[in-house]
Amino acid sequence: MNKLLNIAQAVPRQFVRQYAFKSDLKIKWVRPEKIPCIKPEKSGDLSKLPKVNPGEVIPEYRDCKELETADETVRSLFKLENNPNYLTTRYYRDQMVKEVQRHRLDFGSMEAKLAKMTATIRRYQEHMDEHPRDKMIKVRLKELIDKRKKFLKYLRRWDYRRFEWILEKLDLVYKPPPSYFHWITRKESLQKLTDSYCEKLREDRLEAYHQELQAQQIPFLEEAVKKMEFVRKEQIACDVPITVTEQQIEEVKKELAELIKQRDISAENLRQKADSFN
Amino acid sequence: MSARGLLLMGQCMPCIKKNASKIRIRRMELDKNLNMYFKKDEFYFAHDPQKLCKTGDVVLIRELPERLTRLITHAVEKVVYPLGDITDPISGKKVVVGKYREDIEMANQMFGKSEKAFDYDKAPPRGRLEGTKDFTHGETYIKYHEDGKDQPFAV
Repeated sequence: MNKLLNIAQAVPRQFVRQYAFKSDLKIKWVRPEKIPCIKPEKSGDLSKLPKVNPGEVIPEYRDCKELETADETVRSLFKLENNPNYLTTRYYRDQMVKEVQRHRLDFGSMEAKLAKMTATIRRYQEHMDEHPRDKMIKVRLKELIDKRKKFLKYLRRWDYRRFEWILEKLDLVYKPPPSYFHWITRKESLQKLTDSYCEKLREDRLEAYHQELQAQQIPFLEEAVKKMEFVRKEQIACDVPITVTEQQIEEVKKELAELIKQRDISAENLRQKADSFN
Repeated sequence: MSARGLLLMGQCMPCIKKNASKIRIRRMELDKNLNMYFKKDEFYFAHDPQKLCKTGDVVLIRELPERLTRLITHAVEKVVYPLGDITDPISGKKVVVGKYREDIEMANQMFGKSEKAFDYDKAPPRGRLEGTKDFTHGETYIKYHEDGKDQPFAV
């Protein structure tokens, strides 16, 4: 028994355990902070709603002549800020739809629908900032964002240029959904990070080797020219069949000149860059 | 590699390879057990140095006499249907979903077209918002690491 144990200790361990493998690479993984789906960063809204003018009147009474001559108290009753919230939302919605609609009566085209949704979404987002526990609005907002994303997907398939135009007009970002869903885990993230680390290492080393070989090119060619000339001279002197022609030497010289020119140009560029930094 | 020069039609997928496009060929495959057809995707890399096709376009690819690299076996022949710019093959008119563009335009004119509305003549070709607002030219992924840098394709 003792003998067996001795043999087992003497033989280096063949099997390294695969499970619970710990890499000794110094890769630090930072879990990305969760952004709620209702936030503008996630929903793709780049800009916020503009502020309403302080004296803005309800749209229905904007051209009212009686109001112009009316008392200050009466006028203030018709201001947007002194009226229910939904009227302000409606005001924003109409403003936004007007920017993109096809004609005066168009409220059902894809652009108009998207504009309407965007106005509501931004309004709800403002509301959620003030009242983070309002679950009803949160659900509505989330559903609306998803619906808008779906409509954008359709519009892209139907009419690409119009899709781009609407993205610009409403200041939205469109990112397609990832191909499959998975939870973010420490293990998988570290695997991915290790993969990219190895890839980078490989590329760096290849690049370094490439540089090294390139640095050898000019001395090698210079040497080659010298040797070829020497061989040719010797062959002529010894009356042996000539294997190195003038043309071959010329070609190598031309190549060498080209390389030196390139090196000078790159050196010049580097110097200019350094100067501009200083 | 065979010299058949086989032609295939497929859809262009987002691809990070330079000089090549990733083409998806979708066929139906019979499941003998269930006696039903299921769609099956095959992916080919087609040589495309000028980037003729963009994500979503339906393209024709031709098999090369011999493979160019380990991956690239085909070359892009032509773009048949650009995404979101469909021409009706029978009448040759442009189509949006179920209507001709002309008809939509006519309706707009009759209602009095808005000044700010979208105009096809003024609209520049596809691809100007790539990387700023439109991220469909690449594959997105779920953000798994915070490295302080900007990750445009992270969702």
